Formats: sequence, structure tokens, C-alpha cells
Amino acid sequence: MEDYGEELRTPPVALVCLVGFPDLHQTISSFLHSEQPPINTLALPDFSKISLFARKNKESRDSSRPMGILKREWLAKHRTKVPAIVAALFGSDQVSGDPSQWAQVCNDLDNLKAEIRGRNIKLAVVLVQSSLKGKNEVSEDRMIALRKRAEIDSKYLVVFDVVFDQNDPSEIGQSLNRLASIFAELSNAYYREEGRRIKTRIEKKSFSSIELNIRYCFKVAVYAEFRRDWVEALRFYEDAYHALREMVGTSTRLPPIQRLVEIKSVAEQLHFKVSTLLLHGGKVIEAITWFRQHIAYYERLVGSPEAVFLHWEWMSRQLLAFAELLETSSLTVPSGAASLDSSGRSLTDWEFRPAYYYQLAAHYLREKRYFLDLALSGSEISEHHQGAEAIQSSAESVVPSVYVGQFARLLDQSDTYSMQVLTDPEYVFYALAEGKRFQDSSEIIALLRKSFETYNNLNAQRMASYCGNRMAREYFFAGDFVNAKQLFSGIMGLYRQEGWVTLLWGVLGFLRECSRKLGSLRDFIEFSLEMAALPVSFIAETESSNRRGEYGPAGPPSLKQREEIQKEVFGLLRGESKWISTTTEDQPLRLEIDHVSSLRAVFLASVAFHDQAIKVDTSTMVTVSLLTQLPHAVEVDQIEIQFNQSECNFTILNEQKAELGGSPSKEKALRVETLPNLALVTNKWLKLTYNVKSGQSGKLECLSVIVKMGQRFSICCLAESPASMEDLPLWKFEDRVETFPTKDPGLAFTGQKFIQVEEPEAQVDLVLGTSGPALVGEDFVVPVTVASKGHAVCSGELKINIVDTRGGLVSPSEYDTFSSDDLHVELLGASGSPAEDESRLGADNIKKIQQSFGLLSIPFLYMGETWSGRLEIRWHRAKSIMLFVSLGYSPSNEETAPKVNVHKSLKIDGKTPFVISHHYTMPFRRDPLLLSDIESAPDSDPLTTLALDETSILILSVRNCTEVQLRLISMSIELDKNDTECSCAPQYPGTSSTDLSPIVPGAEFRRIFLITPRVSSPKVSVGTVHLTWTRDSELEQQPHSKATLSTVVTKHKLPDIKVEKAPVIVILECPPHAILGVPFSFYVRIQNHTKLPQEIKYSLTDSPSFLSSGPHNGSTIVLPNSEQILGYKLVPLASGQQQLPRVTLTSMRYSAGLSPSCSACTVFVFPSKPHFKLNGEKGLET
Amino acid sequence: MMMMIVCVAAVGHQNNPLYLQSFTNADDALKLHHIVHCSLDVIDDRVNNPKKTGLTLNEAFLGLLYPSENYKAYGYLTNTKVKFIFVTTDLDVKDADVRNFFKRFHSAYIDAVSNPFHVPGKKITSKTFAERVSAIVNSFGSNAPV
Repeated sequence: MEDYGEELRTPPVALVCLVGFPDLHQTISSFLHSEQPPINTLALPDFSKISLFARKNKESRDSSRPMGILKREWLAKHRTKVPAIVAALFGSDQVSGDPSQWAQVCNDLDNLKAEIRGRNIKLAVVLVQSSLKGKNEVSEDRMIALRKRAEIDSKYLVVFDVVFDQNDPSEIGQSLNRLASIFAELSNAYYREEGRRIKTRIEKKSFSSIELNIRYCFKVAVYAEFRRDWVEALRFYEDAYHALREMVGTSTRLPPIQRLVEIKSVAEQLHFKVSTLLLHGGKVIEAITWFRQHIAYYERLVGSPEAVFLHWEWMSRQLLAFAELLETSSLTVPSGAASLDSSGRSLTDWEFRPAYYYQLAAHYLREKRYFLDLALSGSEISEHHQGAEAIQSSAESVVPSVYVGQFARLLDQSDTYSMQVLTDPEYVFYALAEGKRFQDSSEIIALLRKSFETYNNLNAQRMASYCGNRMAREYFFAGDFVNAKQLFSGIMGLYRQEGWVTLLWGVLGFLRECSRKLGSLRDFIEFSLEMAALPVSFIAETESSNRRGEYGPAGPPSLKQREEIQKEVFGLLRGESKWISTTTEDQPLRLEIDHVSSLRAVFLASVAFHDQAIKVDTSTMVTVSLLTQLPHAVEVDQIEIQFNQSECNFTILNEQKAELGGSPSKEKALRVETLPNLALVTNKWLKLTYNVKSGQSGKLECLSVIVKMGQRFSICCLAESPASMEDLPLWKFEDRVETFPTKDPGLAFTGQKFIQVEEPEAQVDLVLGTSGPALVGEDFVVPVTVASKGHAVCSGELKINIVDTRGGLVSPSEYDTFSSDDLHVELLGASGSPAEDESRLGADNIKKIQQSFGLLSIPFLYMGETWSGRLEIRWHRAKSIMLFVSLGYSPSNEETAPKVNVHKSLKIDGKTPFVISHHYTMPFRRDPLLLSDIESAPDSDPLTTLALDETSILILSVRNCTEVQLRLISMSIELDKNDTECSCAPQYPGTSSTDLSPIVPGAEFRRIFLITPRVSSPKVSVGTVHLTWTRDSELEQQPHSKATLSTVVTKHKLPDIKVEKAPVIVILECPPHAILGVPFSFYVRIQNHTKLPQEIKYSLTDSPSFLSSGPHNGSTIVLPNSEQILGYKLVPLASGQQQLPRVTLTSMRYSAGLSPSCSACTVFVFPSKPHFKLNGEKGLET
Repeated sequence: MMMMIVCVAAVGHQNNPLYLQSFTNADDALKLHHIVHCSLDVIDDRVNNPKKTGLTLNEAFLGLLYPSENYKAYGYLTNTKVKFIFVTTDLDVKDADVRNFFKRFHSAYIDAVSNPFHVPGKKITSKTFAERVSAIVNSFGSNAPV
């Protein structure tokens, strides 16, 4: 679009000329320019410059025939030189001044009028007043005189107030606004009149030639544009365009080539205007349709053969300009397919995209270059004949003439220049000389790059690839092989993926040449091999098909071409022909072909084991098959097959070649096989079957097959399993005979490139003994027995692992950070029988024990021997575990003998042996008042409260919750540290372990302790219960050796208690029993342990079983640190267990009442004095 | 004026060429490959944006794909996502002729792939098919029966 001048690219803007009073010009200019629509100004400082507008040697309308269609400068002239209005600025002092000044004003005006009359330019007079506040400085008479002198309407005489008061800019603003509106009105009028004037000429058909018709239409359209009347502008541009078409073939004014050039140039301008206006008006569809018609019509006007390149250049320019217009208009593509053009043909989406036009522009530019090159080569020959240097040099003096699309020779005739019309040959020479100067290649690349990028953004990969392809070709022909190679490599993938062999062929041909030019041997070989292996089978098309080098350096795809490429590359590989650069000559070259490589068609290696699994040291068959799609048979020197177990690797030598070159791998002492012939025929599997034996268990996998040719070239093909082999990428679309890589068709579907090598069967028993669940705390023993049946056990090793059954290995590292208390289950030890350890293990003894992992050596065992050991495991928590034991050994003493493994596992539950519970009670009929018990809510304080210095009773009960009988050996409460906060002693200290009977499952054992707190504290620790116990079965097994008895100590910490001093203690004193009718005393003893007198209310409720005497209701004061006794005499009236009269006491100070428990208020009444001896009070109390 | 089809192609659903025959003096054979390949972009675009392009799902005929230099490419999409494309140098082609052509080409294609020796997805190498296509191409625009 930059080819067109500014005047064409932008809509015209009205032009106003300011004359005189230059101080104001800047202000007015910038104001007018910022108006909407803007007005341009031409500023003349004084009236002496006004001759500028004078009409020079005006071309007579009657002159026989114009020399051209449009004048080159006309549009620019009207935009920048010929104003619509001349505004004469006079100062008020000039007008109202002395007669000489007035005369000057009149003179200036007259001159001005004379100058502008010829062009019908409008006149406006501006009277500049610099005084204050609207006071007219110029008298009314002078104003009228001025107006009359200027011959203008009164409204075009503008008074412009210049207030130099910066604080009030509104006045000058008003003046400017007034000025702008008047200018707009006048300029509109001017352009309208001018337009109308010319329009009438068109209407009256008062023109002598079609050229003038076109020119008039163009002028009318431009004037309409000045007025922003786009509709009329469009109409007249179109009229001009259509009129121009009529000229084609009829005009004879110029020689044919130049005639066409002129018509096309004008058409170009008119079309550009039409397109701009259409796009500007948002009429995209119309614009595109218009453009298409434009191209369709002029595309046919190729012109004479020697100047064809001009045509293509013109075409390219049309497309480029339209693309840029479309891009800058940034209109959205109308949605819906209803975008039909006027002829009913639908527009495709691509036609709305600038990329499409850029691409076409590039295409035509390429055409231009092609024909330009043709023309240049032709002209160079003819130059010699004609000695046309003169013409060549004269081309330099050719310049654009005054008419659009015309060129003329500028003749320098001493002082004056004159234009001489060119002949067609001269013009062609000129055009050729011009054409040579331009770098078409870079221009084409730029266009394609734009298109390429846009298509990529639109995700139109194929379009983008096409542009990339074209771009790369340009780079290639321009000698920029690096860029070319990069671009070609980028697009190659798409063609490969979609199987467009012909397109891929072309790209590869270029890439091959790029690599050759860049000296990259590896790339060259890869591209050559890929090309040679492409599925191109048809016979070559005629040589002419590559006339314009469309297919590139490789020529059209054909079988013959493939064969030649193969011949060339293999000649190079075998060292028969030389590579251009010799530096890489001697280095070994190795190509890798993996599962996704594009070179799989060159060599495809399939490896299938005939078995799925074998035992160590037994042999199996493996079939290695190779397939090539190269057109010629390939003679291979050597094939190396590599496995993951390198000792299985072997090499197959071609006997013929081996004699020549010698075997390179002999020193490695690897297995070498020879074959009389190793030749690969196109699309036929070369199948090689060999024995393989592995001495190592695990997976045996064939990794790669290395094909070697010549001294330094090898191709490493990754082995593929026939079962999972994918089709050859491009050949899969071809209709070709498919054969199986193995003789056995079944193997072709299931064969794998790996095999499982299994270790020999173990002939050793591993037994884990078990004796039910383990108990927390004890050292649980798991006996392990290794019994050899058919193998000797050599360097045997036991691995022991403890795993949590809920998942997760009880890994040692996890426990490193914990103390052993946190460890739930712990492997304590693993050992064999002590006698064996000494004699047979010797130095090899490995024993490694961690918390959950153990390693233990097994001594050498002959066949039939047995070894037993034991694992000790301790549970710290009740938990289930899995015990995994694996034995690894070698059946013989040889070092290479494979290891055999036996695995065993066992689930063991860990259980808690005892449940310990406890509770506290106060001594019988003795109730201390514990204030915290009263005050606190029932469940807020979980601690048991005991009275200070009072002896309480602690009952511990132990329940066997296992399924085996246990024997309790001792039970004691150990005080924590040297704690003296409270004393705790068993009630019957003499009881020993032998007295304790075994506790059957579910049974409970109780023991009573007396506890006396010595310290008053909210938290007093009582101590820890130590239970010593053993499994009852062990006691029976080892009744004599008590020393070895494995006793277990279970500890249970008793919860803390709260100790406080009781202020009042109430003791009921009553004989243990009574005899019917015999009176006895019953005392209520109230002890006050405080230093305050305590008021106690009491009441006695009579019981029907007793006759009572003593105070029934009342209150008493108990003095500090003393006691009060309420005494009663009771006579039992009934025998048996009887309820004593109920005493209720209330401490007034603490508002605490006491009613003794039921059991404390009962007594047994004998009917008569009993005759048996009682065992004392204590027995009764328990 | 003799109507001119310069290239006929069938493209598989992986966008791989199944059949491509040009009927021109070899000069622009590669160019035609490119045009057919590029027109796949247009087909993709239309199939992926049926609303924008107003393509109805039941319509196999895709119409004009894009005009390129001197050529125009027309497209047709079968139910099995096989694309038929032909390229013509004609500036003024009747829609009905194009539809008619594609219908006949489609039936020829169906016959060719119904051959029990044809492997679906592979290139069509049948000579009978090629002859039939030539016949269809030659009779293009001459109102031959379907």
C-alpha cells in the first residue's frame, strides 16, 4: 500500500488558504486541523505570494486529444496547493487606518480576487480585532466598504476578536468556531460547485475522448470525497473504472505495451479508491466481490509476451494492496454462509482473510520473477546483437511523465527539459532495468511469512505449511540454506504424518540438497535414506513435468529416482564415492532408528523369542528379522544383536565380507556366527534364527540390532516385538504384500522381544512354627526350620521382614527417630541353635538385626540336613503383623551358580494379656466430709478425691483377656520415684506368688491395698501397678528350673488422685452385731478438724426394728479440733439384717448433709447370743 | 466451452490421500497436490464450525472450498469422513454439475472400496476405478446420468 501516495491512501481534506496576519496562522491552523471533519490550511504570510493559485497554461478543453488519462499531480495539487477558500486576514487598524492603509487593503483584495477568479476559489475576509470586549473598532461604513470591495456576502466577513487576556480564552474560541463553520460551509460549496461543473460536462457528454470522461468522473469523485459524500464518490469512481474498461482494446494513443500499462495503472488507482471506500463503509462482501471482478477482468490482459512480468507484478500489487486494506480495515468476517456475492457465488471464508491475498500476492510476484528472469536472459542475448548499451543507459533518463502510468524520456536540452515519448522496446528495457533493481525474493518471503503466520494463528496448518514450503524454496534459491532447512524441517512432519508422499518427496529433496550444501553428512544420509524408502512406485512422469523446478532438486518422485538416490548414498557410505567435505570422512557414522523414527522404512528390526519363559541355563530360539523398503537389495556386512544381558550378545558375519575386512569383534570373544549371504531384498523379511542361552535369571530382552556396512557406517535399529509392532508410517497406506517377520505366523502376532528367565525350582523347605497369638510384652518366639530336600544349601541367607498387616512396611527408617517405646512390634533377635553357630558358620556369619528387618546367615547344609533357629519378636502394643521370611541360597558352591529363593510368610496377632481396673473406697462407717465432692459438678473432675491422712482402700482387679491360661506371679504397686506423697501397701502383705492360682481365660483376680495420702494436693500420683506373669503352659513345661522361667512384667500406671483435708469426719460406731432384746450403744462421732466451731444439725429417724433412746432432732456445736459424740441406746426388736435408725447430719457452715450408706446403717441381729467364734471385725467388714 | 477438471482426490479420515489423479499436462501436478492438501484445512474449518459456515450435518456436499490463483477446489464429505475434492480451472461452474459429479464419484468410490481385496484405509489402486473416474471427469458438465 506504500506504493500509493499519501493522497490516494487517505481521504482528501478541504484546504483553506490564510493570507496576511501571520501571527494568527498557527492558532487557526491547529484549530481547523483538529476540527471534525478537519480542514487543512495553507498559510501565506503576505499578499505578495498569492500568485501561487494562478492557473498556468490551462489545457484547452477543445484540444484534439489528451495525452493521458489522469494527471499524476492533480490529486496532490488539490489537496495541498489549490485551496477551496482564501481567507484574507486584515488587522482592524489596517482597515480603519489612514487612507493609504485602506488603499493597500483594497489593492490587496483586488489582486487576490483577480488571482482566484480563474479557479472559482471562495473568498472570505477576516477582520482581526485586538481590542477589548466586542467594541467595534471599525466603523460600519468601512465594514460595508470592505465587503463591497471584496464582493462577498456579509456573513463571510468575519470579525475575529483576539483577546490577549489569557484568563478568558472563550472569546478567541468563539471566533475560531465561527471561522471554522464558515470555512466548512464555503469549502463544501466550493467542492460542490466544482463537482457540479464537471458533472455537467459528463452529463452533456461534452468531452472529446474517453480519457476525458474518465478524468471527469475521477474529478467528480474526488470533489465528492472532499465533501465526504462517499456515496457519490463511490459512484463516480466506479463510473470511471467502467469507462476505463471500454478503453481496453480501443485506445491506440500509445504503443500497445505502454497503453496497457497506463490503463492498468489507472485501473489500479480507481480500484484502490473503490475498495477503500467500500471497506471504509463496512461493505466487506461488496469489496471482496468488487476485487474479485477486478482481478478476473484484468488477469486476462496479460499483454505482449516480452512484458508479461509487468502484468504479474501488477497483479501481485493488487493483491498485496487489497490484503493490506483488508487487514487495516479489521472488519469482522460476517457470519453465516449467506455471504453471496452479486453473481450468486458464495464467498469462502478464506477470502475474508488477508493471509489468502498475501499468499496470492507472493504467488504472482513469483510469476513476475520467473518471467522477468526469462525476459532478462532473452534481453541479455539481444543486447550483444544490438549493442544496446545506449538504450540501456538511456533507460536511466526515463522518468514518470505527467500522466499516471506513463513514462517518458527526459531530454536535457541545455536549459529546458522536454519529454520524449518512448517506443515499446525502449519502455521494456526501462522496465527490465527497473525490475532488476528489486529484490523480489525477499519481498516474496516477507509476503509468505505474513501469510504463514496468519494461517498458523488460524490453526490452518496445511495452508501454513504450503506458505512455509514456498518460503523455504525462496530461501533455498536465494542460497540461504540454513533458513530453508529449518523451514522445510518444520513442515516435513505434517506431510509425513498425513502420508502426503509426493509433497514429502519434494520437501525431502530440498532438505537433502540443503544438507549437502551445508556439509552435514549425517542429515544428508538420513534424508537420502528416507527418500529412497518412500512409497513412490509409479513410473517417472515426463521430464517436462519439472520444467519450472516445481519438484525441486530431487525431481518428480519416481522409482528410478529412488534407486538413484539409494545408489548415491550407499556409494558414499561404502566409501566408493567422496563426500564434498573430507573432514568427516573417517569418523564412524552411526544412525539410530527407534520406534518413531521416519527411517523405520529403511530398516525395521523385529525380534521374537520362540518361548515366553525359560529356566536359567537352558537355551531357546530367537528369530531376528530385518525388513527394508529400499528399492535395491542391500548387502550387509555384519549384524550385531544386543541384549540387556551383554553375555548373550552375538554377531552375524557376512562370510564374503568377513574375508575381506576381518572380524572386528574377535578380541571381545563374543559369539560370532557366519552366514554365506546377508542381503536384504525390498519388502522381504530377512529371517535369522539362533539359539540363546542365559545364565542369569530375570528378564532377557533384545535391545537393538546393529547393521554394519562398510568400514565406518552402522545403523542401530531398536528391536521391536512382532506382537506390538506398528505399521510402517507411510507404507501402511500402500497396497503392498505384507509378510510375517517369523516363519511361524502365530509368533508374528504374539512374539515378544523379551523372555523371562526363571531361576531353578527350590528344593528346600522353609517352615515357620507358630503357637497362637503373641501377648504384649512377652518375647514371642517363632521357630524357623530350614530343611534341605534336594539341594545343598550354600551361603544361605534368611531375610526377615515385619510388616504391618494394615499395609505399609514397618520400615526401620521410620522408627529410627522414635524411641523403642513408640515401636509397636520389634524384632529382638534371630538366632540358630548355639552349637551350630560356633562350628559351622565361621567367618561368613552375617547377622544383622534391626527393628523390623533381620538378616541371618544359614550354615552350609548338606542334602537332607535340617537347620533350625528362632526369631524373637516383642509386641509393645496389641497389633497384627505379617512376618515375611525368605531364604536365598545357592544349590552349589560355585560362585556363578544362580541364587534360589524360598519365601514364607506368617500372620501373627499380638494381644493384651490383662485388663487392669481399680476403684477406691473409704473405711466402713467412716465418712470424711470432702468439700470438692460437694462443690464440683458430678462429671467435671475425673480425679478421685481422697481425704488427707485417712486410710482409703484401693481395689485392683486384673482380668485375663487372652485365650490361654496365665499365671500371675506377683502384683504390687510401686511408687513413682521416691515419692512420699502417699503410702500404699497391700492389705495382706504376706501373700506370695506360689499362692496365686492360674487365671483361666476370662477370670478375674483382685487385690486390696490400703492407701493413705500424706500430702494435700489436687494431683497426687498413686504409683504403678507391676504385674509379673507367665504363661501357665511354660510353668508346666519347666516346673523345676524356676530361674529360666520367662516371666513378663506388665506395668500399668494408676491415675492420679486428688487429696484434700476433710474438715469434718463422721464415724458411726456400732457393734458388729446385736442380739435380739439386748440393748447396745450406737454412737455418732463427729470430729471437727478445723479451727472453727462447727454447727451440726442432726436428726434421727426411728426404725421399727429398734427401740431407741437419745437425741432425735437438734443441733450441736463441735468445738475446734475436738469431737462431739451423739450417743444412743438401741434395743433390737427383730432379728436378721436390720436397718438402724437413720441419722442425718448437716454441717451448717458447709451446707453439707450426710446420710450414711445403706450398708453402713444395717446391723445383723441374732435371735440369741451365738455360740460360734467369730473371726473378728475385719472379716465382717470385707 | 469444454469444462475442465484438473484434479480429483479422495482423502481418508486421517487426512491421508487415498486417491489423487490429475488430468493436466503434469506441469502443475505438485501444485495440485498442494491445493488438495490445503483445501483440507477449509474442510476441517467447516466441519469444526458448522454454525459459522451454516453447514448442515446431513449435507455431504461442501461446495466451493476456496479459489486459488487459477483454480477452484470443491469438496464433499462422506459419512465415513472420507473427503472428495476436485480442482477445476473453470471460473463459472454450476453447482448442480458439481453435485452431480460428486454423486457419481461417490458411487464409484463405494464400488471400489467394496472390492473384497481392498483393505480399508489404503490407497485405491484399482484400474477400473481409475477408468471410471476418468469417464466421470470427461463427462463433467455434460448432464450425464448419475
